Amino acid sequence: MAEAKTHNNSNKPRPRLLKFLVMQIISHSTIVSVICFIAGIVALLLLPILAMNTYISENALMPGSANNMLSSHDVTVANKLVKDLADLKLRSNGSPIESRKLIAQYMLGLDAEVTYHNFYPQLNQFHPLHFFTSPDSSIISKNVSCASIGINTVGIIRAPRGDGKEAIVLVTPYNPKKVGSEDALSLGVAYSVFSLLSRVTWLAKDIIWLVADSQFGEYSSVSAWLREYQAPHFHRVVVNSETCNESSTMEGKLHSGFRRAGTMTVALVVKVAEEGNHFDDSLSIYAEASNGQMPNLDLINIVNYLAVHKQRLWMKVSKMESLLGSKWLNTLGVFFESMGQYARRLNPQWKFGIPANEYVEGTATLASSMYYQSLGVPTGPHGAFRDYQIDAITVEISPKVSPAKMNRHIDFILRYGRLIEGVVRSVNNLLEKFHHSYFLYLMTGPSKFVSVGYYMIPFALLAAPLPIVAASLHVFSSKTTPQAPGASEVDASLESWKWIYSARKVFVIHLWGVAISLLPYFLVQIPGLTPTTNLTAWGSLAVLSLVILYSILGYPTSGAVASGAEKREWTNLKSVTLTAVSIGLSLMSIINFATAEIGALLIVPFCLMARPLMLDIQARSMRTLLLATLNLALGFIAFPPSAFFLLKSAFGYSDGYNISDYWNWMESLWAWNSATYLYIGIVHLPCWALCIHILFHPC
Amino acid sequence: MEFLFLRILKLSMKILVMMLLFLGNIRNSVAYLSSSSEATMHTNNWAVLVCTSRFWFNYRHMANTLSLYRTVRRLGIPDERIILMLADDMACNARNKYPAQVFNNENHRLNLYGDNVEVDYRGYEVTVENFMRVLTGRHENAVPRSKRLLSDEGSHILLYMTGHGGDEFLKFQDSEELQSHDLADAVKQMKEKRRFKELLIMVDTCQASTLFSQLHSPGVLAIGSSMKGENSYSHHLDPDVGVSVVDRFTFYTLAFFERLNMYDNASLSSLFNSYNPNLLMSTAYYRMDLYQRHLEEVPVTNFFGSVMETIHTDSAYTSFTNKNFGGAKTKTILDQSLSGSDINSVRNSDEDQFNNLTAEEDRHDEVGQCIFCAMDSGHLWSFILSKVITNESVDFFVCYGLFLMLPLLVFSTWLSL
Repeated sequence: MAEAKTHNNSNKPRPRLLKFLVMQIISHSTIVSVICFIAGIVALLLLPILAMNTYISENALMPGSANNMLSSHDVTVANKLVKDLADLKLRSNGSPIESRKLIAQYMLGLDAEVTYHNFYPQLNQFHPLHFFTSPDSSIISKNVSCASIGINTVGIIRAPRGDGKEAIVLVTPYNPKKVGSEDALSLGVAYSVFSLLSRVTWLAKDIIWLVADSQFGEYSSVSAWLREYQAPHFHRVVVNSETCNESSTMEGKLHSGFRRAGTMTVALVVKVAEEGNHFDDSLSIYAEASNGQMPNLDLINIVNYLAVHKQRLWMKVSKMESLLGSKWLNTLGVFFESMGQYARRLNPQWKFGIPANEYVEGTATLASSMYYQSLGVPTGPHGAFRDYQIDAITVEISPKVSPAKMNRHIDFILRYGRLIEGVVRSVNNLLEKFHHSYFLYLMTGPSKFVSVGYYMIPFALLAAPLPIVAASLHVFSSKTTPQAPGASEVDASLESWKWIYSARKVFVIHLWGVAISLLPYFLVQIPGLTPTTNLTAWGSLAVLSLVILYSILGYPTSGAVASGAEKREWTNLKSVTLTAVSIGLSLMSIINFATAEIGALLIVPFCLMARPLMLDIQARSMRTLLLATLNLALGFIAFPPSAFFLLKSAFGYSDGYNISDYWNWMESLWAWNSATYLYIGIVHLPCWALCIHILFHPC
Repeated sequence: MEFLFLRILKLSMKILVMMLLFLGNIRNSVAYLSSSSEATMHTNNWAVLVCTSRFWFNYRHMANTLSLYRTVRRLGIPDERIILMLADDMACNARNKYPAQVFNNENHRLNLYGDNVEVDYRGYEVTVENFMRVLTGRHENAVPRSKRLLSDEGSHILLYMTGHGGDEFLKFQDSEELQSHDLADAVKQMKEKRRFKELLIMVDTCQASTLFSQLHSPGVLAIGSSMKGENSYSHHLDPDVGVSVVDRFTFYTLAFFERLNMYDNASLSSLFNSYNPNLLMSTAYYRMDLYQRHLEEVPVTNFFGSVMETIHTDSAYTSFTNKNFGGAKTKTILDQSLSGSDINSVRNSDEDQFNNLTAEEDRHDEVGQCIFCAMDSGHLWSFILSKVITNESVDFFVCYGLFLMLPLLVFSTWLSL
């Protein structure tokens, strides 16, 4: 506003440089925004090339510096446990009490402190009032039967000479009702390590082995245990545990009550995949916790280093498999490769080209990493730890042959037991929390990552045009105001405050967005509704409320206002909308960067392009018609449900386009308290609606 | 005429006497001035051994220091003259697979943390402030004598430091730094306060040579493990303990000393030449421009042991000449058997009150051992002897006495026949 005025006063001697630059950028906003947007996309595609190799940043860790101490004795006993569990399954048809007792007995045999932790699994529900906090655990109905109670078995080894202030957690999810051979095998691996650690003299941190009862889901059991560990509820209804445990034979040996060790520094979830992968033993790492939080990169680095260099394993991080075969990506990779070669010919010190296949793989991994971070849903039980700022990852072992058909359990246990031992020993050396390496990163491979410094650039470039275009629209709309020769100063100043009306409209639409996001809470209260009906109800309610809002606030055509003011109205509205989008995206980038990045990719082009269709149709030239169709297409892409289905088909997850998928997806988002849900409801959808409003603005 | 001659003679004699007296005064004062530096004898050896880094992964620094401690003790510096500063306790660290033991080699043959290791400054006591206090001798009153560097102007001091360093600094305790200026300042103060005769500074850290750049005091010899811009590396990793156990520079220093015992005459230059840059993976740097003696002539035991030049003296004490007479004899005998530290401390005993204590103890010992002390019983005889015979004619007296014995023997045998 002020800038516009000074611009009019041309009798000033010479504009200052900064102001001059700003004015230049604003007056050439179209070309600047096009350049920025293209540069943003190019920068995003360049990320796999800019990825750095991971390195262990913390000196204290020293992974692999010590010899493995896991002996054949530990492994044989562990193997016996696996066999006993399998026998038990055959004999008593998998009685949960028996298998639990068996595990507890094995733990007791190692002089560990063993306790049962009873919990009542909390189903993930939408709690709009405490979105970012975990729900109160004290709401437990008294008439809980044994069948609906989960029982974790917890073993604790105290460090013989440690100060007992810190602990390392090993987690093995295990379903006592359905003991699969893969679960038994993961128990065996954990047991072998636990058995070794009960003997060693070098422990500085206590070791907690949590056998998480996964009959109600792996996450809920771990999170229930963590909640009890970190925030005990003294007033809660205690379920009568004795009746459920029936631990008469081990009376007195088990510790009663909840046992704790020190502050948890690192948690490691060990799982064995159900299916063999037919190639070679490999190791997958899952690290994403809620809202795209990642554990410290050093933790992944240790596991990666030990697995690759010590145990000679294949490391995997999840990839978008469909991208691997895509032609255009391969072409892009070849292009970048040749660019790199050309650059090296110019100057041998420029080394930025990577081979095309590496590029494709990096991009596929990056896309998956970004997708899982942006979802905001933890990819495994490790997510529960991150809520308490504990670094945790899930290590999933996928053996060559499926565990059920495996013959040589001993070799398997020895190999992976050594890996886990190495990780524990390395973490045991740690003196403080992990703090050296990165927390904000995207993986582009098991040993490659893009740090926050690089992946900020594409987002910044994508979001930069929004304020520029907003400013330019604002400046030029007030400049082109037809000033009547006799108009007073008051009129002019009123004229300049026109944007307030648009701001009010934008604000109301955002309020509508909030209401829409809260609707599912009431919808799920109604019993017996299918996802499809839920979604239909949600959609129709949303549209209905929008129509009502329009009728209240006054539809633009209702008043016979002067057409000149009408014409300007949409530019004001667009400028305020763009401001709102840029604010929303910036806020989201702080909460969950990947969401903001993907959201920016979807919404920014539509927001920038949006202009009334009427204008284009009236012009009737080839260019304007093209612009109109482009606008419509972008509007379709930016609409959340269509974006969901488009992305789904693009990444090859198109197993039938069921409309209920979208409801389920949204349900999972709010059930996991993902900020992405809020982003879609409060930022993305209202902005999309506003842009559509501009699109159909009468002129 | 004769009278006149006598008077002139008297006058000239007077002048001569006065001149003699005057000259004697000058000589005395000159001797006193120069005694502070060159002329002072090397009287004793001290060692200050510092490990500056904390944390389990710096195990090797403590092992370095303890290895040096063991070496200098083996070569004869007594424990009360070693100030050992260890910034962390690796032996009792919970991560140590071998509780209360520290090794500097993966073969685990030698436990450096035996029963008789006396750590003077440990844990958080190892600070730059305390280090400077030890060097300069500015302590609080309550600091016990065992924690003080009680050296004198005849002392040879070995200052060994290891830890993490950089360009002109050495990190202490992960929280503070000793800069090259601080070190040079402390050394300068030591020089001013006559706390050493010669000082050997040995540093095993990255860019160790930069730590010596500010030194200006004479009599200082410095050796560092690496040049500016170079890192000092660890020698090997002990896969059993899970950490690196010794640094390269210290490892090869120890390898050199393992071949020596306290009677060996290996020179400092042979030590300095023993460092092979390829094995060290860094270039050992020594600064000798402040040091007067030739390195070829200085045995390593001058610093790493407690062997020093022994000066034969006949009378060290003026009060009890008879005892000294015996004492001087004893010394020559002991010279061949014992390393000289105890004996030499006798001679310069009046220089330092602390030395006095040890010297007196030593003297009592010697008197106890003295074979000539039987003569003390004949007190009168010895008194007459001391009156009649001057110190110079003792040998003559003994010789003539022996020769006189011969005819006596012949005479007595002839009588008995």
